[in-house]
Amino acid sequence: MANLKDIRKRIGTIDSIRQVTRAMKLVAAAKLRRAQGNMEQARPYARRINDVLNHLLPDIDRGTHQLLTMRPAKKKAFVVLTSDRGLCGSFNTNILKYAQKVIDEAGKDQSQLICIGRKGYDYFGKRGYDVVEHYAGFWKDLSFNHAIEMADAVTERYLKGEFDDVRVIYNEFKNVAQQEIVEFHYLPLVLEEEDDATIKDYLFEPTKDEVVKSLVPRHLTVQMWRFLLESNAAEQAARMTAMEAATDNAGELIDNLRLEYNKARQSAITTEILEVVSGAEALAE
Amino acid sequence: MAAQFHLEIITPTKVIDEGLVDYVRAPGVDGSFGVLARHTNAIMAIAIGEIKVVKGSVENSYACTQGFAEITKEGVQLLVETAEQKDDIDLQRAQEAFDRAKAELQKKHDELADEEEALKALERSMNRMRIAKK
Repeated sequence: MANLKDIRKRIGTIDSIRQVTRAMKLVAAAKLRRAQGNMEQARPYARRINDVLNHLLPDIDRGTHQLLTMRPAKKKAFVVLTSDRGLCGSFNTNILKYAQKVIDEAGKDQSQLICIGRKGYDYFGKRGYDVVEHYAGFWKDLSFNHAIEMADAVTERYLKGEFDDVRVIYNEFKNVAQQEIVEFHYLPLVLEEEDDATIKDYLFEPTKDEVVKSLVPRHLTVQMWRFLLESNAAEQAARMTAMEAATDNAGELIDNLRLEYNKARQSAITTEILEVVSGAEALAE
Repeated sequence: MAAQFHLEIITPTKVIDEGLVDYVRAPGVDGSFGVLARHTNAIMAIAIGEIKVVKGSVENSYACTQGFAEITKEGVQLLVETAEQKDDIDLQRAQEAFDRAKAELQKKHDELADEEEALKALERSMNRMRIAKK
């Protein structure tokens, strides 16, 4: 039978861990709410740009814009979005495993990586992958300027011909309990549904070509912004779920230990009574 | 009363303003253009400048940066990178940005990090200050 003092000490330790995990859960919940708000706000702009481009692209000669031209994908680049910090369940593990599989299929030597978030950089940097760019430490004050910076960096390298095809791998926020890994074809630009143009009788100023030229980079930035927001919300959701589970587990552990503690206490009392009674009986005889 | 139309000013991070208005003037890349109700469908590129909105007898100004306008039967959507209402402009920040850009441009040519970007920053800060001081 375990010692009473030891059990009490263990209960104390687990209880303080539970306090930490509970606090982390609450923080993640608050951050999640803000992240979802940001996503909501970003949606109208992204949707409109996407719609307009969808309408315009069928009319545009892809060859005239470098960002639209399909070139043979010899060298590929992968943008992998992870978090900076751990303690968020399988959020990072899943995406890193997936990314590694995809990159190895494409050929490790022909692939370059852009790691957004410290975890991804740590993982791939250590394993000898060609990480050409990495960002960390920005998640806590994420702003649209980060999206501009990242999108510009990727686009510039693409235009220089460092790679011919860019994929973005990130966690999409489905709901609080679910994240989905998404692989997005970032460059060259392809849109899901190039439907027939209902936009033909539009007036363009200065010209249709110019409009598309200015729209494409903007679209890329907004997409990057969306990835960042999605990943951020998914991270907070994952952390919240993980910390909730940890808090529950700690509670369960404490319950079990209490039971054990009471049992130990009870048996100690029983032994004592037995000793007293048998002592008294011995005297009476 | 003249016919009104629906206007939305949208940035990547926020919907700045929406509602029924009488008239809007936006800074196109080839010069400003005004839009009244029943305008023909159009897509126009927008440069750094001032968006003026007239709603009844109320006039409102915004400082905006690049973007584009989509004009349809349903209304007008101005999609710009940033837009601030005249009263919300942070003059001090604009002044700082102006000084920074100016200092950058005074450097020798080979030390200049990014001339184009510095010029843009200069234009943006001047635009903000001009509108705020109106």
